Amino acid sequence: MDPAARLGPAQIDVVAQLAVSTLLLGGIYALIAVGLTLIFGIMRVVNFAHGEFLMLGMYLAFFAFTLRGVDPYLVLIIAIPIFYLVGLFVYVLVMRGVIHASHNVQIFTTVGLSTALQNIALVMWTGDFRIIRPWESSVVLRAAGTAFNLAQVVAFAVAVALTVALMAFMKWTHTGRVMRATAQDRDAATLMGIDTDRVYRLTFAIGIACVGAAGVLVSPLYAAYPQAGLQFVTLAYVVVVLGGLGDMAGAMLGSLIVAAVEVGGSYIFGAAWKEVFYFLLFIGVLVFRPAGLLGQRGAETLGA
Amino acid sequence: MSRLAPDRWAAVAMFAVAALTPLVVRDAFLLDSVILILLWGALSAAWNVAGGYAGQVSLGHAAFFGIGAYAAALMSARYAQSPWLGLAVGVALSVVAGALIGYLSNRLKGPYFALSTIAFAEVLKIVASRWRGFTSGSEGVPVPYRPGFWTLGLGHVAWLYLILVVAVGCYALQVYLERSRVGYQLAGVREDEDAAEALGIATRRRKVQAIVLSAAMTSACGSLWAQYVGFVDPSHVFSIDLSVRFALNSIIGGIGTALGPFLGSLLITSLETYLRATFSGVEASFTGIYLIIYGVVLILIVRFAPDGLTGIAGRFWAWRARAHA
Amino acid sequence: MLTLEAVTKRFGGLTAVRAVSLEVRAGDLLGIIGPNGAGKTTLFNVIAGYYRPEEGRVRFEGRDVTGLPPHAIARLGLTRTFQIVKPFGNLSVADNVMIGALTRLPRVAHARAEAERVIDLCGLGPHRYARARALPIALRKRLEVARALATRPRLLLLDEVMAGLNPTELVGIVDLVRRVHAEGVTLIVIEHVMAAMMRLAQRIVMLHHGEKIAEGTPQEIAHDRRVIDAYLGDEFNLAEA
Ligand SMILES: Nc1ncnc2c1ncn2[C@@H]1O[C@H](COP(=O)(O)OP(=O)(O)O)[C@@H](O)[C@H]1O
Ligand SMILES: [Mg+2]
Repeated sequence: MDPAARLGPAQIDVVAQLAVSTLLLGGIYALIAVGLTLIFGIMRVVNFAHGEFLMLGMYLAFFAFTLRGVDPYLVLIIAIPIFYLVGLFVYVLVMRGVIHASHNVQIFTTVGLSTALQNIALVMWTGDFRIIRPWESSVVLRAAGTAFNLAQVVAFAVAVALTVALMAFMKWTHTGRVMRATAQDRDAATLMGIDTDRVYRLTFAIGIACVGAAGVLVSPLYAAYPQAGLQFVTLAYVVVVLGGLGDMAGAMLGSLIVAAVEVGGSYIFGAAWKEVFYFLLFIGVLVFRPAGLLGQRGAETLGA
Repeated sequence: MSRLAPDRWAAVAMFAVAALTPLVVRDAFLLDSVILILLWGALSAAWNVAGGYAGQVSLGHAAFFGIGAYAAALMSARYAQSPWLGLAVGVALSVVAGALIGYLSNRLKGPYFALSTIAFAEVLKIVASRWRGFTSGSEGVPVPYRPGFWTLGLGHVAWLYLILVVAVGCYALQVYLERSRVGYQLAGVREDEDAAEALGIATRRRKVQAIVLSAAMTSACGSLWAQYVGFVDPSHVFSIDLSVRFALNSIIGGIGTALGPFLGSLLITSLETYLRATFSGVEASFTGIYLIIYGVVLILIVRFAPDGLTGIAGRFWAWRARAHA
Repeated sequence: MLTLEAVTKRFGGLTAVRAVSLEVRAGDLLGIIGPNGAGKTTLFNVIAGYYRPEEGRVRFEGRDVTGLPPHAIARLGLTRTFQIVKPFGNLSVADNVMIGALTRLPRVAHARAEAERVIDLCGLGPHRYARARALPIALRKRLEVARALATRPRLLLLDEVMAGLNPTELVGIVDLVRRVHAEGVTLIVIEHVMAAMMRLAQRIVMLHHGEKIAEGTPQEIAHDRRVIDAYLGDEFNLAEA
């Protein structure tokens, strides 16, 4: 940006615009990351196929809109149960067998899943970029010198509502408490008579429902293509590691930080280099605070 | 001990068949297949040094491959120098990068280590795609063809023997690792770092050494690949798909064994070549099909036969030996 | 040979080892006892270099080893076994022990020969080709000792090598510990099983809540009020021992 534009009253507007951009982006990242961190926290599995479910959510919204003219926000209502079922199905078919296996087995199972899903999308829908422009993408909101399109604001609002609902579910419901107990100590949970298989099934399904919903929400903003998940999921790893793997509140904070780095980085250095910043941030956090910004040191080196 | 013999024999047979192929056939397609099987096998063997023998499972080895590929391609395309010089520069850079990654990720385990290696490869990918003035960005670098050994402008037969030498070298290095002090110590590090420390093994240093060696091998193969294929672009040479492919061959063939990566490559590369020939008309969908098979095979192998084909063969061998006794 | 000077190790708010001082002379067979969570394993982790103590020093053969990494300490001749055994699970018993021997004997052939000797000493001969993870727990504990022994330590720390064994297995391992001691290795033995300790150790140190509360011969320890008090309320008592 032209340095002259940074002077005077315009500067305030720029800061406000950047701050609100950060917030809006952060809300969406939170919804993507919260499923990932939930799955890790409870199942101790890093789901390397997480982004592919986001991509499937984007395609669902795309086809619902182009073939049936259904608005993405209506699709959301069916997307959540659909992805919940997809999550259940994938858990039973793929994840259940490796839940007690070594890290390597788990890593390559989800990596294999990611490769397979990406290329199923490629074969079925080609590598073309698919963009939808529902009416809300072209409505611009203005407030206090900042401007946004409605799609961004709605995506943010829904993402935050879903994330908060999930956190409330984990904190206040019996099932949520059982899930957290399992996360704390798998063996103790089994001894206490908790059906851990059910907990994992539920966890995976909820995690996938979140990221599928996130895919639908971002469809008016970003193009769908087979590797679309990759750009988001690498970012979700950053978010999740920043917040501490398994820490949902941490994921919210991490999302805001990543969004701030992205928004600030693109403003100062140009959009082309923004990813470098959050990867450097990622590496920095992994190296210096692998348990997350708030987490206790040492967790990352725990074996098994 | 005698149980090891069959897989050594299998390796000798495989390399012998590869060496004899050009004497029997001159078909470019077939020679190309053999070259690719050997090259992907060598690359997977390089991955196996870190991922299999030392237990440092990386999903970012494309970083070293890309460094090697770019070093050779830029050296010949931009500076009109010998790609061998580029290969040497690439190896030097990869040694530095490997030491850096190994040192920084030293305390990380399992998924954390894998994530950090992905991040390193992604950073390089972004740098290579955005630093237009130097790398030509996402357009990629075409490698000029200048006939001669020094310029690596070779025919199929020469390429085959060159890559065969590299493959045998990588295989021999693995065999050395299986039998040497450093190899046994790496196995200790892989199995349990705390216990290895208690036995006087400098686990951190050993891990970095394994990653550095693996990085150097990967980089050298990456340079040769760039010269062989003739084109380098960042979204391919630094991709996760490529890193996964190195790992996949090793896992399918048998992780942490000398033969495994080559066996895996034989299977996967032939499958790819076959499908490429069969579906040559519909390029986009074809790529998808073999990658879907990759993914599914990977899931099935780690689930049902985590020690891969050599593991299955070993069990079969042991079973037969018992049946005969 | 080994001197601890007021060693303290904390985990956050918890002080796992508090100002423990200790003197071990060459040829000693020292026992450390204490209820679960007393800080015994933590003390071993501090001595062997796995944890750096917040306060105090560890000296081995006159040399300050505080803060050295475990492998450096192991090369000086001080090593340990793990309470929760850590075999190289996918390797054979012979390879496990040989990796220990490679620390002193860089040539693989020499290390293999040394490993054979140690394997026989530890009664693992019949299992030398077995995969370590396939061994039953009693043999895995022996393997733990064998592997450490192959590094030719002058001081060896044994962490509960007798826990969870049946009476027959117990006799065998007590015998092994005696043989190792007879070979001239100085030993510090942590044990939960009091009876075995009473027969084995020359001197016993009692830890409780991270503090050294008693030190003396087995006889003195058995009649020490503080020891008896400390064990009251714990799941086992001296009578059972
Ligand atoms: N890595 C650790 N982090 C936090 N607390 C620990 C750690 N290791 C041990 N502790 C705590 O320190 C205390 C002493 O443990 P430990 O040394 O294992 O006891 P012992 O071996 O005598 O049974 C216990 O309360 C234990 O929970
Ligand atoms: Mg203990």
